[in-house]
Amino acid sequence: MLTRLWRSTFGIVVLVALAFSAATLAIGAVAYEVTHEALEEQLDHRVAVETRALVAEAREGGLAAVSEAIHLREDARNEASLDYLLVDRAGRPIAATITPLTPVEPGYQEHFGFRRGNVTGVGQALATPLPGGMLVVVADRRDLAAIDRTLASLFATALAAMLALGIGAAVLVGWLTRRRLSRIDATAQAIIAGDLTQRVPRDGSDSEFDRLAATLNRMLDRIAALMDNLRQVSTDVAHDLRTPLTRLCNQLDRAATGDKDAIEAARRQADDLLEIFAALLRIAEVEGLAERRALGAVDLSALLEDMAETYRPDFEAAGHTLTIDVMPGLHIEGDRRLLAQALSNLLENTLRHTPAGTAAKLSAKVSHDAIEVTLEDNGPGVPPVDAKRLFQRFARAEASRTTDGHGLGLALVRAIAVGHGGDALLSRSEWAFGVTIRLPR
Amino acid sequence: MRILIVEDDSDTRAFVAQGLGQAGHQVAVSEDGRDGLFQATGGGFDAIVVDRMLPGLDGLALVKALRAAGDATPVLMLTAVGGIADRVEGLEGGADDYLVKPFAFSELAARLNALARRPAPRGDDAHLLRVGDIVLDLHRRTVERDGRRVTLQPREFALLAELMRNPRRVMTRTMLLERVWDFDFDPKTNIVETHLSRLRSKLNAGFDADAIETVRGAGYMIRGE
Repeated sequence: MLTRLWRSTFGIVVLVALAFSAATLAIGAVAYEVTHEALEEQLDHRVAVETRALVAEAREGGLAAVSEAIHLREDARNEASLDYLLVDRAGRPIAATITPLTPVEPGYQEHFGFRRGNVTGVGQALATPLPGGMLVVVADRRDLAAIDRTLASLFATALAAMLALGIGAAVLVGWLTRRRLSRIDATAQAIIAGDLTQRVPRDGSDSEFDRLAATLNRMLDRIAALMDNLRQVSTDVAHDLRTPLTRLCNQLDRAATGDKDAIEAARRQADDLLEIFAALLRIAEVEGLAERRALGAVDLSALLEDMAETYRPDFEAAGHTLTIDVMPGLHIEGDRRLLAQALSNLLENTLRHTPAGTAAKLSAKVSHDAIEVTLEDNGPGVPPVDAKRLFQRFARAEASRTTDGHGLGLALVRAIAVGHGGDALLSRSEWAFGVTIRLPR
Repeated sequence: MRILIVEDDSDTRAFVAQGLGQAGHQVAVSEDGRDGLFQATGGGFDAIVVDRMLPGLDGLALVKALRAAGDATPVLMLTAVGGIADRVEGLEGGADDYLVKPFAFSELAARLNALARRPAPRGDDAHLLRVGDIVLDLHRRTVERDGRRVTLQPREFALLAELMRNPRRVMTRTMLLERVWDFDFDPKTNIVETHLSRLRSKLNAGFDADAIETVRGAGYMIRGE
């Protein structure tokens, strides 16, 4: 319970207030003590000086002279005057302005009780033995006590004010903090309830609360974007699977009526569906793999040569040409199989979507901090409208709607590039259209 | 061959068991990992087919336990689609081969055959592969058929070497993609077919007998007769 209190803003401010109060108390105590001692010393000093003067009188004129001096001083008495007591050996008073209430001992006495007329008092006393008697000089502590009282009440007031201010501040700061946080809380509650469009209100003050609100809002934007993407993907998947599934149903209906060819067609359709699922899972997997993928050293130049050699026969068979322009000795950290799959997807795209006679070029070069692998061709390319969404799942250029493919190839290329800390982008030059995979060196 | 199938999905289990039984193998089945491990350590199997996800003890743990016990029976692991990490884990865990569901039965059969009769590496001329009248030198990277030199592209050479390492055994398209190209995906283009037809025309130039046999619906094989 207590630890929980100290963790709240209220508790923290109370703690600070208590610390300040303790400091005030300590300073007060020291100041009180120092002042008190200084005033006491001053009283002692006065008593000592007066005693020396009277002892000098005694040396010249004996006790009678001292008695005379005391009487003279008593006649000229004022508020600040000292008190005197002169006794003989038997302790009988010879001259006195006060009656002692405390036994007289030689030396200093801190709290010497006495009565003067009807008034009792406490004083600072110095008793000095004289030939034939004892002289006591007493300074009343009344003024000292008054100053002590004033000091004490002053510090007590300061302490009380400190505590009151501290508690007040704690209540205020606690309330303000709760009020600011409750806005964030309200937004969070609304989002939990399902309204993802809610954002934490900002006051533009650039205070820590405001900055926190801004950060939270950016986080919410990111989450909303991811949710949108997810929704888009699910919609796309549902939409793009409906066509082949409907076709599958039709083929199975035909097969039920005894059409043998329909069985084979249905089989192919099912394979096709499995292929789409495999591609989708692969993309999701590669996207999730970015952090924990086992990286190895990949000889990119050799891989590109291999890929070109692998695909050149198919290019030639389709009446295409495939040339290669790769800087030797390019090495990166990566997953060789995934990179091979990305390149395979690009090469097959070119094969599938360009007319016979197309010239394609696979190249790799270093451009300051990245290695750029480009496959370009002088085929028709894609219209700019389609280009924007070419790397999204199920994105297919309008012109290729009728050809084979599911529009997942480039999405996977991009996922693999991003998984390697790079990106995939379209590249256009005067004669060619292509895709570039940028990989960090 | 005596083959143990450890698979919890009854449809897959029945499909595999029936197929292998019809192919003349003796088949034992198990539905969960613990029982599967118990049966496997009983020994006497030529190959084991294990599903990656199993109740009780999963496929990976089963293979690890088997290998830890010093059992070297060839293991083929089955997994659901989309498991790049699964594949690596499986092979590192001691599985000898890996097959992604759904698969064609011919694929499974070919892989089991290739697993069960692994050729032992031979002595000094281990770099020389001889099947029938074809001799392939892995060091010099040369190929001769009946004493006549055949010049091959690097991929064609690798493809022939893989076929010759497994004489009289069907190599499927996916097996060749994995072993010759190191692809763990299936390209749309028929790169295996294309390269094989080039290899075949180079090998067969001047000979009547086709060096490479196409097994319909399954794959390719070098018989060497």
